[in-house]
Amino acid sequence: MEDKKYTVDIKNLSVRYETSDGIVEAVNGVDLKIERGKTLGLVGETGAGKTTTALSILRLIPNPPGKITGGVIELQGKNVFDYSEEEMESIRGDQVSMIFQDPMTSLNPVMTVGDQIAEEIQLHNKKMDKKQALEKAKEMLEMVGIPGNRAGEYPHQFSGGMKQRVVIAMALVCNPDLLIADEPTTALDVTIQAQVLDLMQKLKEQYNTSMLMITHDLGIVAEVCDEVSIMYAGRVVEHGTLEDIFEHTSHPYTEGLFNSLPDIEHREEELKPIPGLMPDPTNLPEGCPFHPRCSYCTELCKTRRPVETRLSDTHTVACLAYEEGTGVSLGGKLHE
Amino acid sequence: MSEPILEVKNLKKYFNTSGGVLHAVDDVSFTLEKGKILGVVGESGCGKSTTGRAILRLHEPTSGEVIFEGRDITKISNAEMRKLRSDMQIIFQDPFASLNPRKTVSELIGEPLRLHKIYKSKAERQEKVLELMEVVGLAERLMSSYPHELDGGRRQRIGIARALALKPKFIVCDEPVSALDVSIQAQILNLLKKLQREMGLTYMFITHDLSVVNYFSDDIMVMYLGKVVEYASSEELFRAPTHPYTKALLSAIPVPRLGAKKERILLKGEITSPIDPKPGCRFAPRCAYAKDICFSQSPELQDIGNGHKVACHFCKEFAGQ
Repeated sequence: MEDKKYTVDIKNLSVRYETSDGIVEAVNGVDLKIERGKTLGLVGETGAGKTTTALSILRLIPNPPGKITGGVIELQGKNVFDYSEEEMESIRGDQVSMIFQDPMTSLNPVMTVGDQIAEEIQLHNKKMDKKQALEKAKEMLEMVGIPGNRAGEYPHQFSGGMKQRVVIAMALVCNPDLLIADEPTTALDVTIQAQVLDLMQKLKEQYNTSMLMITHDLGIVAEVCDEVSIMYAGRVVEHGTLEDIFEHTSHPYTEGLFNSLPDIEHREEELKPIPGLMPDPTNLPEGCPFHPRCSYCTELCKTRRPVETRLSDTHTVACLAYEEGTGVSLGGKLHE
Repeated sequence: MSEPILEVKNLKKYFNTSGGVLHAVDDVSFTLEKGKILGVVGESGCGKSTTGRAILRLHEPTSGEVIFEGRDITKISNAEMRKLRSDMQIIFQDPFASLNPRKTVSELIGEPLRLHKIYKSKAERQEKVLELMEVVGLAERLMSSYPHELDGGRRQRIGIARALALKPKFIVCDEPVSALDVSIQAQILNLLKKLQREMGLTYMFITHDLSVVNYFSDDIMVMYLGKVVEYASSEELFRAPTHPYTKALLSAIPVPRLGAKKERILLKGEITSPIDPKPGCRFAPRCAYAKDICFSQSPELQDIGNGHKVACHFCKEFAGQ
């Protein structure tokens, strides 16, 4: 049973939203796995399906309109779709917890932060009484750098960075196997972001938690992740270790993402943005979903959907240029 | 040195709040030459947006002078200011909130032309709208679309077309790409840079993203709690940041490259309150080098050579490091 060593193992996940405007194909056959104690970065732009993938792990896709149409998600070797709703409730926050982007909206405004953390402790640990839970809540606050005596304060009395610390304390209080962080620092200032990332890194190491880090910032990826999956239009287009992605960039979309970033070390270089826009998810293009924006696009790319090609033990890419006999070439510019 | 288009002298903007007087912009002075781009950086609440708005008198300045092409515009009448607005424009951060949802693209872009009565006939105005749409890269078929039908990048292009409609000389760009995805962000940055070059525009570019500002600006002004803490050319600032806050800010940017791990300066604590600030350096409570003098005396912005200005009591000592 080699699979057991993965904290989470997603196979061929597909999710769609059935809306009045049509069917949104949000996630189309995604594979992801995270080893114990490792961090996977999930990178992509708005609408790439990153958050939908993450919410699927917790079975939190709103239904209707959302529907998981295929695939398996294994947590510690067990398929989450086999659990009852009650079992799922005990898993959320205990085995798997999530940090959302906006700390302002993920806390209850009419409950003190101490009570909010204590509530969660008691939910998952029925033996603890209120007093013990509050003590533990204070300890958690101290751990994320907030004085324990502020446990009696309400969320509005905290700044954005501190609120996010409270959310992190809450996410880690039950010592989860997997921590999902959905753009945890996007709403924060850069010096505060540095503090929060530093804290998450330390705590993750301390508890040996696996982490799924959803972000659009490749700088953050370079700093905190072990592996990276690049998503586009509901598919993973490239996956690899940090070195694979940063040093041996292989998919044209990944290349485009790097070229879009202003290089802080070479200011003269002109930005080479990816032309066009993300495709309409209710009407995804035929063939490779990236072909309308790809500068290497050929006729074949417009009709044939690329499959995952293995470039090395750790590195996979979904692009026809890497498939035998397609005749598609990236002009030798990318790693071939 | 070419002529300055804008001179800001001792600009102050205070807001009266229930908790006391909020010093949003506190004694800011700088000069901007024609055709240059000044980047203004800092974190939430440092007063960068308020500075931009006070210059355009979208917030009436509490005191100070704003000299635009030789004229102090804080002293002119509202009617005169209205005329001057065709020379001074702003592009807002949020293309979702800054456009009237009930107007079509062509109405939105035509609005400034209509208000300033630039063209006599509707047909002429329409022609100009089409021309502007082409300049900013909006397809003609989108003319009668409403903002909600468009993505953020296109909406921001409408905002840019509106700002350009009256052929301005000076534009305040207030976080114009912060709400956009990276691939779209690069498209808009390239567009803004191209327009600036072709039309000889002068920008005040407000952002919290230092990598954007480095790509974009000639000079950079770093603000902290309503004060300018450092001012230098982009090159100089990135080569030799001197103020402890600037150093921490630069070191906090995650760099998208492997092995880029550098010495990170983690600031302690968070930004202090701008309401009735105590005397002394505003950054002192978070500064690792703060000494007694920092808590009692406010440092002046002083030139440490080559127009590199720093507001720190110990800037001469830090300069060599």
